[in-house]
Amino acid sequence: MTINFRVYFRFIVLSVFYFASIFLYADNVENGEKIYKQNCTACHLMTKARLVGPGLEGVTEKYEKEWLIKWIRNSQALIASGDERAIAIFEEYDKSVMTSFDFSDEEFSDLLAYLANPPVEEVVVSSGVQTVENQGMSNSTILMIIALVLVTVVFLLVSVKNSLKTALGKETETVSQTLINKYKLFVSNNINVLFISAVGLIVGLKFVYDLLMGVGVTTNYQPAQPIAFSHEIHAGINGVDCNYCHTSARHSKHSGIPSANVCMNCHTYISEGSKYGTKEIAKIYEAVGFDPDSRQYIEGYEQKPIEWVRIHNLPDHAYFNHSQHVVAGGLECQECHGPVEEMEVLYQYSELTMGWCIECHRETEVKMEGNNYYTHLHDQLKEKYKGKPITVDMIGGIECGKCHY
Amino acid sequence: MDNKKKYWKGLAQLNDDPKIKKLAENEFSEHLPLDKFLGDKEISNMSSSRRDFLKFLGFSTAAATLASCEAPIIKSIPYVIKPDEIIPGVANYYATTIYDGRDYGSVLVKTREGRPIKIENNKGCTNARIQASVLSLYDSARLRHPLKKNKKISWRNLDKEIKLALKNLDNDKKIVILSSTLISPTQKKLIKEFGGEYNNVEHIMIDSIPYDGILNANQSTFGIRALPKYKFDKTNVIVSFGADFLANWGSNEYSEDYVKARNPKSGKMSKHYQLESNLSLTGSNADKRIKIKPSEQGYLISNLLEGINGGNVDDRLKKILSDLMSNKGNSIVLSDSNDENIQLIVNEINTQLSNYNQSIDINNPNYLRQGDSSKMKELLFDMSSGNIGALITYNVNPAYSLVQSDKFIEGLSKIEIKIANSLYHDETAVLMDYVCPINHDLESWGDANPSLGEYSLKQPTIAPLFDSRQFEESLLVWTNRSDYYNYLKNFWKNKNVNWDKALHDGYFNLEENITLKTNSFKGKLISKKANEGLELVVYEKIGVGDGTQANNPWLQEFPDPITRTCWDNYITISPRTAKKLNLKNWNVSNGALNGDLVDLTAKNINLKSLPILIQPGQMEDTIGVAVGYGRTSSGKAANNLGFNAFPLLDTKLVSINKVEGEHEFASIQLHHTMMGRDMVKETTLSDYIKNPSSGNYREKYYTYKGKLPSDKVTLYDSHDLETGHFWNLSIDLTSCIGCGECVIACQAENNIPVVGKEEVRKSRDMHWMRIDRYYSSEMTKEIGKEKDISAIEMYADMEVPSDNPEVVFQPVMCQHCNHAPCENVCPVAATTHSNEGLNQMTYNRCVGTRYCANNCPYKVRRFNWFQYSENDQFDFNMNDDLGKMVLNPDVVVRSRGVIEKCSMCIQKIQELKLNAKKTGTTISDEEAQTACTSICSTNALVFGDSNNKNSEVAKLREDERAYDLLDHLNVRPSVFYQTKIRNKS
Repeated sequence: MTINFRVYFRFIVLSVFYFASIFLYADNVENGEKIYKQNCTACHLMTKARLVGPGLEGVTEKYEKEWLIKWIRNSQALIASGDERAIAIFEEYDKSVMTSFDFSDEEFSDLLAYLANPPVEEVVVSSGVQTVENQGMSNSTILMIIALVLVTVVFLLVSVKNSLKTALGKETETVSQTLINKYKLFVSNNINVLFISAVGLIVGLKFVYDLLMGVGVTTNYQPAQPIAFSHEIHAGINGVDCNYCHTSARHSKHSGIPSANVCMNCHTYISEGSKYGTKEIAKIYEAVGFDPDSRQYIEGYEQKPIEWVRIHNLPDHAYFNHSQHVVAGGLECQECHGPVEEMEVLYQYSELTMGWCIECHRETEVKMEGNNYYTHLHDQLKEKYKGKPITVDMIGGIECGKCHY
Repeated sequence: MDNKKKYWKGLAQLNDDPKIKKLAENEFSEHLPLDKFLGDKEISNMSSSRRDFLKFLGFSTAAATLASCEAPIIKSIPYVIKPDEIIPGVANYYATTIYDGRDYGSVLVKTREGRPIKIENNKGCTNARIQASVLSLYDSARLRHPLKKNKKISWRNLDKEIKLALKNLDNDKKIVILSSTLISPTQKKLIKEFGGEYNNVEHIMIDSIPYDGILNANQSTFGIRALPKYKFDKTNVIVSFGADFLANWGSNEYSEDYVKARNPKSGKMSKHYQLESNLSLTGSNADKRIKIKPSEQGYLISNLLEGINGGNVDDRLKKILSDLMSNKGNSIVLSDSNDENIQLIVNEINTQLSNYNQSIDINNPNYLRQGDSSKMKELLFDMSSGNIGALITYNVNPAYSLVQSDKFIEGLSKIEIKIANSLYHDETAVLMDYVCPINHDLESWGDANPSLGEYSLKQPTIAPLFDSRQFEESLLVWTNRSDYYNYLKNFWKNKNVNWDKALHDGYFNLEENITLKTNSFKGKLISKKANEGLELVVYEKIGVGDGTQANNPWLQEFPDPITRTCWDNYITISPRTAKKLNLKNWNVSNGALNGDLVDLTAKNINLKSLPILIQPGQMEDTIGVAVGYGRTSSGKAANNLGFNAFPLLDTKLVSINKVEGEHEFASIQLHHTMMGRDMVKETTLSDYIKNPSSGNYREKYYTYKGKLPSDKVTLYDSHDLETGHFWNLSIDLTSCIGCGECVIACQAENNIPVVGKEEVRKSRDMHWMRIDRYYSSEMTKEIGKEKDISAIEMYADMEVPSDNPEVVFQPVMCQHCNHAPCENVCPVAATTHSNEGLNQMTYNRCVGTRYCANNCPYKVRRFNWFQYSENDQFDFNMNDDLGKMVLNPDVVVRSRGVIEKCSMCIQKIQELKLNAKKTGTTISDEEAQTACTSICSTNALVFGDSNNKNSEVAKLREDERAYDLLDHLNVRPSVFYQTKIRNKS
C-alpha cells in the first residue's frame, strides 16, 4: 500500500506540473494572439500568402528570435545597419516601411510563441443560423434523471417492503395499490387539499402572468445575421471603441448601424478573419464592390446594402434617443446592451420594456454638475427635494409625453 | 367694460336657427345609429347568443394574443457608403428658394435622411402655399418621364427630335417660349442664348391673374414695368381699393411690414381703409371696410384725386381724404384694378400725396409680376394665322388658365411642334407633342431676383424623384451644351459673388440702381358711377390660389379663412341679394351646410349648376368666384372639384338663375362652436391708450371673501410650474391676420392626416389648430347711445349687421390647461400633465372613449374615426408611398380609435432641451419655437419659457392685454391671448 501511495503521489505532483506548464504556455500564446490580432492583422496573414507584408507562417523557423525582435522594434534601423536579410525583405516588398512596435520583452516572447504555434484553423461547417444554446435543456435532463432515480427508488422500496411482508407472511401490495392508498390518505385531509390547491393556483397564476408579460419581450433575441460579425473580436479583443462604428450614438436618436464604408476603413487591409477566414469579410467586399485581389474598388459596381437583422426593436410609439443617454446622461453602452465585447453573436441583453425604462429612470441620478443647462434647475430642485438625490423622474423623466408623441 | 357685442359664426347662428342651437349643445353633430341597429328585428332572431358572443370574444382575444407572440423580423439596412453630412436621425437644413411663378419664398428646407419634410422661413416670410409645396414635391401625379404624343420617350431621342424639328422650321415662322413670370437671371440669359441658336425666337411671360394694369401704368408713369416696393411699416394710412395684399395681391411679403405699423404698444397704428366687393382677408383686417361695386372703383379713385386737388368728394371718401391729406408721404393708395387708366390715377394720387420714395419705393421695384397680356393676345392671333412654328411652354397652363383658352387650344393645331415643360400632365401638356417633365423647386438648381438688388439661390434638397430635367438644363441641351449647375456657378462667380457663402445663406444682395423716366399724368378721370346689375369679382383662395398646386390635399383641405369652406369653390353672394333672388344656404340634420344651385350667364359664357354660398360682407349685387378649381388633368385630389372660373376673368356683368338641386359644402364654419361663450376680447386704440387693460374684462365670482377673479377660487391643487420650464404660447389677436399659414405648418410638422370632403362635412376634420373667424356687428348699444340713434333704428341696425361685419380671427389649438378638464375624465390616464405646463396625449394608452373631447371647453381634441394612413378609403398622401415621404419621423402616425391634439410641438421642445443638455448651455429665447410660431410672418404667435423672465412670452404673460380663453372656467391654460385692438379713431 505505501509504495502504491508514493507512486500515486508522484504521479499527481508530476501531472500538476505538467498541466501547469501547459496552462502557462497556453496563457503566453493567448496573450500573443491578442497582440497579434491587435497589431499585425492589418498587414499580415497567418498563411504563406502575402497581404501588405509577407505571410507569417513559419516565420519563427526562418528567422531567429533576436533578429525578429530587432526587426519588429525598428525595421528601418535594422536596414540602416546593413543587415542583408533585412534589406532583402525591404526590397522585396517595394520598400514599404513596417510600423515599429515597442513591445516589452515579455510581450515579444508571447507574440513569437503565438507565431510559432498558431491555432489550427477551425473548419466552419455553416456560417448560417446559430441557435442559442438553451441553458434550460441541461437542467431538464438533470430533473428527468432525478425523477427516474426517484421512481426506481420507489420501486425498490416497494419491492423491499413486499419481500419483508412476504417474509412476515403478510399480504403484499403492488406499487400502484400502495400509491393509491397513500393518495387516499393524503386527500382525506382537507388541509392538504387546500394547501395543494393554493400552491397550484399561485404557481399557475405566476406561470400565466409570466407568459403574458413575456409577450413581445425579446430578451436574448439572437437572430442570425447576414455576416457572422463578432463583437467579441472587434470590441473585445481588438478593443475598437463602440463609437468608432456606431458613430451617430453621440449625435442622434439612432445609434446607427455602420455603413459598409466604415468596415472598409480596416477591411481594405484585413481580408482574412481569424475565425471564418475570407468568407465573411468577402461579403463586405461584395456590398461595396471591392476586389480583394487587386485591392481596388470596382468601377461602376452596383452596390448592395447589407441587410442586417435588427435586434433592438422599440415600438414605433416609443421615442428613444441614444445621444440623450450617451452624451447627456453619460451612460456606458454596456449598461443597456450588456457585455457586448464578450458576445460572439450579439443578442438583446435588456428587456427593453417600459417597466425597465422607468425603473432605471427612478433610480438614476441626473448628472447635473458642470452642465450649464442644469445650473438654475439644480438649485430649484435642491430646494424642492431638500437635498435628496435628484433622479431622472424628478425632472419629468417618467412623464408619458417625454417618450410618446 | 363688459363686451356686449354679439359674435356669430354664420348666418344661421345669428338668426337663432334652432337646428344650430341644438347642434351647439351636442358634442358630436351626428348620433350613432344605435336605435336603428338595436331595433333591427333580425338581430333578435339571430342564432348567436350572448354565450356565443363571449366565445367569439374569447377566441379572438386568444388568437390575437397568439398572433402577437411571434415578432416579425425587422431589417435594418444602413447606407453602403454614408454621405458625410447625413447623420441618421438628425435633420439637415438647406437654404433654397421656392418660386412657382406666383409665390416667392427664400426658405430653409428641413431634410431627414435626404428627404425634405418641412419648410421654414429664411429671409422674409412664406405663405400657406409655400409651406405646402413640400407635399407637392411628393405628388404621385407628377410626370415621371418624358412623353411624345402621350407615349414614353427617352430624353436622348426627345432632344434629338426637338433639335432637328426646331432647325428645320421655316425661317418666317416664330419659335415662342411661353412661360410664367421668370425672376431668374440665368433663365433669362439662357432663353436669350436659345434665341441665338435658333431663328425667330420670342419669349412671352404671362401671369395667371394678370397685372397688366398696374405694370403698364408704372411703365407709363416711371418708365419701369414692375410693382413698386410698398413700405407698409412706414405707413400711417392705407387705402386699398380691392387689393387683397395680405393674401394674394402682388407679393406675399407685405403682411410682415403691415403688422409692424400696427403695434398698439407704440401708441400708433396705421389706419387701414379697404374698399372692396368681396369680403377678403385684407378687408377683414381693415379698420374701416367700405363695400363698393367693382364698377364704382374707377369713379371713386378719380373722385379721390379730385378731392386731393381740392374738389368735392363722395361722402364715403371724406374721412379717407382728410386722413390722407394729414399723412402726406406716409400713406399708400393701391388698387387691384387691371385697368391701366385707373392705375394711372392711383399713381397720380400717390404722387400728389408725395408717397413715392417715402412709403412707396419705386426705386426698388419688385419683379414678381411681369406677365404681358397684350403679347399673349398677339400670340393667339399669330397662332390662329399659322405664324407660329414652335411653341415651348414652361410652368404655364394656358389651356386651363387663359380666358380665351378655347382659342389657344384651337390655335395649337396650327403649330408644327409643341413642347410643354411641366411638372404635371396638365390640361396644356396633354395637348402637346412633347412633354418634358421638369424638376420641382426642391430638386432644382437656380437663382432668383425677386426685387432690385435682392437675389437668392436655389439648390436641390433631394435628387430628382423621377426621370425629370429642369428647364434650364433642357435649354442648355437644346443649344448643344449641358451642366446647368456649373453654368449657374460660373454665372455668379463671374459677377464676383462668393458662391459658397451665397449658397449657404441662400440669398445675397448686389448694389444696383435704376433710372426712372417720370412722365406727367396722362390718365382720364372717370365720372361714371356704378353699373346696374349683378357684377362679378374673380378672386383667389388662400389655399389653392391659381390652381398650380391644386392637387395638394393639404391645400384642398385648408379651410378658407373667410368662408371656412374647403374642397370647393362657389359663388359668394351677399345675404340681401340672396334674399332678393330667393337663394338659400341651410344646414342639414348633421350640421353640414348645403346651398342652392344657380346657372351663371355672361357674354359668351354659360356655367351650369354652380353652388351659392351666402357671405356676410359681400357687396350687394355682386358675386365672387374663386379660380384654381375645376381642374380636369391635375391628379386625384383636384380633378373635377368645383368649376373653372378663369374664363370669367374679364367678365364684368353676369346674371344668375336659380336651378333645381342642392350642393353639399365641406364647411367647418358651424363646427367647434364655443357654445355662445365670450372668447374674443377687443377694444379700440384710443381706449387702449387710456387704459391698456381696456376690453380685458375678467369675470368675478361672489365668495364669502367678496368678489374674486376665477384664479383665486379653486378646488384643485396647483401643479408645480415654477421649477424648470413653463412653456407658454401667446396669441396676439391684433397681429393675427388669419392667413392660416400656421395651419399648414402644423399639418406638415405633426403628420396630420387629410380626411376628405365627406369627413369634413361630418365635422371630422383633423387640423390641430383652427383659425376661428367671428363676425361682429358694427352697431352696439354704446354706439347707439353715443350717436343718439333712436332705439328702433339701433335695433334695426343690429338686425342686419351681417351686411358689413367686423371680422376677428382667433387661432385655437389645445390650450394646455394646467387644470385640465380632459385629464380628469380620462379613464386610462392617456392624457396627463407634464411638469413643464403641457397637456400630454399618449396615443398608445388611449382607448377612444372620447370623454376628453366631450369635456374640453375649447373643442380642440380630434378623434381618429378611421385609419387615415394606408387606407384606400382615404386616398390622399398617407395612402401613397411617395406622399408618405413627407411624414415627420419624430412624430407618430396615429392609428384608428385614438384622440389626438396639439402637443405644443413637444418633439421640438424635447430636441431643444436635449441639444442644450448635450452642449451644456441654457436655452435661448429665439430657439424656442413651435411649428406655428416659427413661420408666423406677423409674429402673432410667440412661444417660449415663461419661467425665463427675459423671454418675450414671459413679458407678454404680464401684459395688460393678456387674457385666458374662457377665463371664468379657471382651467389656467398655458396658451393665452392678447386683446384685439382696432384703430377706430
